[in-house]
Amino acid sequence: MLKLNPQRKQEFLELMARRGWDMLLFYGDTWRKEHFRCLVSVCFTGPQAVALLTKEGEVRAVVTHPWDVEPVKAGTGGPVAYAPRLVEGLKTLLRDAGNAVVAVNGLEQMEARFSLAVKEMSAAAPVSATADVEEIRRVKTQEEIEWIRKAADLADRGYEHFVSAARAGMTEYELVAEVEGFVKAHGAEDNFMLVASGGTEVTAMKPPTARKLQVGDSVITELTPQINGYYAQICRTLIIGPPSEKQLQSYAIFAEAQQAAQDLLRPGVDISDVARVQNDVFRKHGFGEYTGSQYTRVRGHNLGLYPDELPHVLESSHYTCKKDMVIICHPNTYLPLSGYMVFGDTLLVTETGCVSLSRTEKRLFQA
Amino acid sequence: MKRGLVSWDKNELPAEELAKRLAAVHAVARNRNVDAVVVYSDVWRSNDARYLSNYMPYWNRAFVVVPRDETPMLLCALSPRVYPWIKTVTVHETVIASPSPPATLFKLCDERGWKRIGVCDLEGLPTDLYAELTSGKAEIVDISRSEVRLAPAAVEVRMHARAAQMAREVLEQEITTRIAKNDHELTGRLERVLRRAGAEDVVILVSDGEGPPIPAEGRPIGAHTSVVVAIEYNGHWAKVTRNFSDVTSSLTSPGKVTQLREILSGPYSWENVNDIGDDAIVSVQLQIPANGRHFYYGDTCLQNREGLRVL
Repeated sequence: MLKLNPQRKQEFLELMARRGWDMLLFYGDTWRKEHFRCLVSVCFTGPQAVALLTKEGEVRAVVTHPWDVEPVKAGTGGPVAYAPRLVEGLKTLLRDAGNAVVAVNGLEQMEARFSLAVKEMSAAAPVSATADVEEIRRVKTQEEIEWIRKAADLADRGYEHFVSAARAGMTEYELVAEVEGFVKAHGAEDNFMLVASGGTEVTAMKPPTARKLQVGDSVITELTPQINGYYAQICRTLIIGPPSEKQLQSYAIFAEAQQAAQDLLRPGVDISDVARVQNDVFRKHGFGEYTGSQYTRVRGHNLGLYPDELPHVLESSHYTCKKDMVIICHPNTYLPLSGYMVFGDTLLVTETGCVSLSRTEKRLFQA
Repeated sequence: MKRGLVSWDKNELPAEELAKRLAAVHAVARNRNVDAVVVYSDVWRSNDARYLSNYMPYWNRAFVVVPRDETPMLLCALSPRVYPWIKTVTVHETVIASPSPPATLFKLCDERGWKRIGVCDLEGLPTDLYAELTSGKAEIVDISRSEVRLAPAAVEVRMHARAAQMAREVLEQEITTRIAKNDHELTGRLERVLRRAGAEDVVILVSDGEGPPIPAEGRPIGAHTSVVVAIEYNGHWAKVTRNFSDVTSSLTSPGKVTQLREILSGPYSWENVNDIGDDAIVSVQLQIPANGRHFYYGDTCLQNREGLRVL
């Protein structure tokens, strides 16, 4: 079955024509596969994979693991070469480049020896296509939205499993293992997940530790399953045992801030304002200082083939939101009331506003 | 993604072993007349930095900087809010917030009067970092990986062997019980047990006997199914493959069976290269034709001048 995204391919060809690029390379490595997968929707398993799109619309690929040849060939319908050393693979791929102008999506992440090989074969340093391609990817196709809906549904079910598994005495990493096993068993290709547990000493989320959950703990997580390449995220906080007054007070502020973002988000809105309305809620309650980088990172971010796509939802970041963008708004930060707390939904921007793709109840959970 | 238990068990990986590795890098710095040696790290290219300082990122990029005759520093794009945790699982006492690790490195050069910096596998850096580092603000010298990473020591071999043992036990148990009906379910079951056992990362691939091993797609499990389990345990990878028909062949002398050899102690988690050096931890994967299908069988081995030894 072909796994080329025809709409995207057409958009990339139009981009090439606008920019005067003769060849566009899509470079993915194990960490940043999205730069490859935005054209070829195959989860390669070797260290790197590159697809070449010519201005005539031909797609050729080179992979660095022999097990990737067959799936990538089936996905592109075009020739696929196997080269354990990508430098040699790129030289073969670009042997007819001559004086062609070559652009690379993912150039920044590409090992320097690979970009030097591209330069050698095309007589000029490659230009970066990353920002232009990201801009195209930011607005999702209807098919992509369906995949993100499926991922959001799995995030909901994954969080339900999180709540049912969490109990005092269990370590953080055992809890993560339960959720990871659940989402994989139900079709997740991957899952980005951070966690933390405890009280006011907790200032951030991180990978799970061997700390045992205790009665009174806030257990915070962002859960981000990936279906067919696309991520959706949910952020919720759970208390082991009955919540304290301060935990409830803290949750109310987070819920108000997230709702403010959800109420504002629509086409034409500056992403900076989506951050500002969340921060204003904290300011109103006397916690304005906890909206800065000392206590938090971002008030949300774009979602898609990468779990932390740009634009970030920050007061210092300006971007005009568009219909069919998918953004998580999460006012996650540290507060002295209850320590670091998280709360957020995956939101789809519609013509007149936005809808949440997350169905999990908006409340402070309890185990 | 890296999201399992990240820890430093000093019984498994003694501080003295890391000190020995650091001393070797100090010697490189002296011999190559550089003021510091830099090792790059990101989410999936973490092996070399992990080797030196036990730093293993769950996100973002970093430089491990080893000044000549000093303890290593970490220039890290992660938030300072996670530095207390980083310090509990690494040798780093100094962690510097660095949205741009090269910019912080140049600042250190100015402050400390460093003129010549060695970078481990310079052309292996991401293009943007390479461009920034080689912009002329300091003299940059390429240091080959083989200068920084010594032949696998007994400690390292034991860690890979432990990872391989975990993968073998869990996979063989799963094949014996035959509970999973499809490859998603199988992947979930393996993932759960391995992560509960302390795996940092797990990658499962499944072959239906018709094509190569690939990530789960919801295909049914049957007699022709082969399963590849790659597992990272405290920074050390192992790869073990079994099939549901118990088709095997000798890993050390596979004869005419198609063989794939991957390095597990290289910069990436696994990399299929033609020129693996003499001493390395490798994965040997066999593709065995039988009954009109392809079966896969493989394991983790120590490769040295004496040949291959399954760990």
